Amino acid sequence: MEILTLWLWPLLALIMLPALLVYFGLHVVERGIIFVDLALAQIAALGVCVAVALGAHPGHDALPWVLSLTFTLLGAGLFAWTRFRHPRVPQESIIGIIYVVSAAAATLVLSHTAEGDEALKNLLVGNVLLVTKGEVLRTFGLFVGIAVVHVLLRKRFLMLSFDEEAARRKGISIRTWDFLFYATFGLTVTSFVQITGVYLVFSYLIVPAVCGALLSARIRTRLAIGWVVALFAGISGLVLSVKLESADLPTGPTIVCCFGVALIACAVIMRLKKGSDPISAPREPRDA
Amino acid sequence: MTSLLLALKVVATTPEYGAIAAVVGGDQVKVTTLAKPTEDPHFVDAKPSHIVALSRADVLIEGGADLEVGWLPPLVEGARNAKINAGGPGHVRASEGIQLLDVPVALDRSLGDLHAAGNPHFMMDPVNAKIVANHVCDVFCKLDSGSCPAYQKNRDALDAKLTAKLDEWGKALAPFKGKPIVTYHPTWRYFAARFGLVSEVYLEPKPGIPPSPPHLAEVMQKMTEQKIGVVLVEPFQSRKTAEAVAQRTGAAVVDVCQFPGGLPGTDGDYVALLDADVKTIVTALAAAK
Repeated sequence: MEILTLWLWPLLALIMLPALLVYFGLHVVERGIIFVDLALAQIAALGVCVAVALGAHPGHDALPWVLSLTFTLLGAGLFAWTRFRHPRVPQESIIGIIYVVSAAAATLVLSHTAEGDEALKNLLVGNVLLVTKGEVLRTFGLFVGIAVVHVLLRKRFLMLSFDEEAARRKGISIRTWDFLFYATFGLTVTSFVQITGVYLVFSYLIVPAVCGALLSARIRTRLAIGWVVALFAGISGLVLSVKLESADLPTGPTIVCCFGVALIACAVIMRLKKGSDPISAPREPRDA
Repeated sequence: MTSLLLALKVVATTPEYGAIAAVVGGDQVKVTTLAKPTEDPHFVDAKPSHIVALSRADVLIEGGADLEVGWLPPLVEGARNAKINAGGPGHVRASEGIQLLDVPVALDRSLGDLHAAGNPHFMMDPVNAKIVANHVCDVFCKLDSGSCPAYQKNRDALDAKLTAKLDEWGKALAPFKGKPIVTYHPTWRYFAARFGLVSEVYLEPKPGIPPSPPHLAEVMQKMTEQKIGVVLVEPFQSRKTAEAVAQRTGAAVVDVCQFPGGLPGTDGDYVALLDADVKTIVTALAAAK
């Protein structure tokens, strides 16, 4: 079975790693900050670009890793700090600005260095087919660590995303907890981006969470639905791209399209369900 | 003719090696090429078929001068095939025994994606293609000694054809000896050195770095001073940049390619590619006179 020899580590990566992304996706969709992952990945990439401009070589030196981590934490601080309540400036617009400015800054920084495009491409366009055993195990270790933090502190994190008012009433320091949220989220996204690329990270965050939200109001159920969707899309995408030799489909985009199919399936299921019993009562409107 | 099952499975990184391998191997080999001729050989997107081809390959032909360093190593690693690893019996380093140009004195990454080994576009000199055909033939012979005489016969025929063609191409380009040309990337250094052209002005400020306005201004000044009338551009390079420069200096943009299949009618045929390139360049230089 080639799938278990040639494609063993890509397969394991798609089984072991997305669970945490799906969980973060629930938060991200609920907060309405869909593009924050792209912005954080871009900020981390900017860190690596600065390291490359300083003469370091990604993969050999520690500096790119250190700077990518530093920039991710700076980004986390920035997002925690900009969670203000302004009637005319939604946070999504700040996220967009941070994204585009850090992307442009990366281009400027790299315009005078050697591996310009190459370095950026490797950061943002990971290819799951080329993942190595070391990468999968290292990333899995990191994800388990982050998951433990979030399981232990789940009440606070959920309150912050799903019921900000309650958090404020309780006098919880929203900035501090938001920083912790964005820091762990940033670490997750930047390490997953290097394995799968931006498109896949985005799909893994958003599609399972949306599928869950379509079918259930309960957080646990949504998480379970999200995990099933993520496993379905990842495995079927990999198998299709590998098995359909005549079509020779690139793996990442195949998985993304499988996500699209999964979302359509969930929408159909929702329709059918709606016919028999109306889903839960409409949720409280979010504060503007 | 050997049955298809017994044929040597050959993987070439870029199309010109694939073309040479197909000529030398004839019916006895089955050649797969990873990079498309219209794709930048510095960046190739990995697909499942690449890894599958490498995992089943008996022979891998790579440039060996770091051209494919950005994408080939992870593919080879993923393929887990000892035969084609560096040092394996089926591994061909095309650049072996070739005198590379532009070898950096001191390696400094700030100078662009300079390849430590030297300029990797050596196949644009047909004399080097003969050397590569030799390497390929040697490895084929070692792996399949039964067909060795056939391989050697094919190689000798290619060698003779290239000798005759070198004479023809040399004559066609002889009237333009010493003429300067502008290219996007230092791809045409070997070609220029062989046929007496001067290739020292590039649209890229440093290899691999996209053109910046100040650099292009400098290029245009050089073109006016040295009366350079042609700008060579390949399918995967920015034709828009070349056109902008050419328009402002009255030069002509010339579509060429370093890979068989990158120009119409040259698919899988190294000699046809060189024919097309030489013809296009001669026409452009004559018109620019």
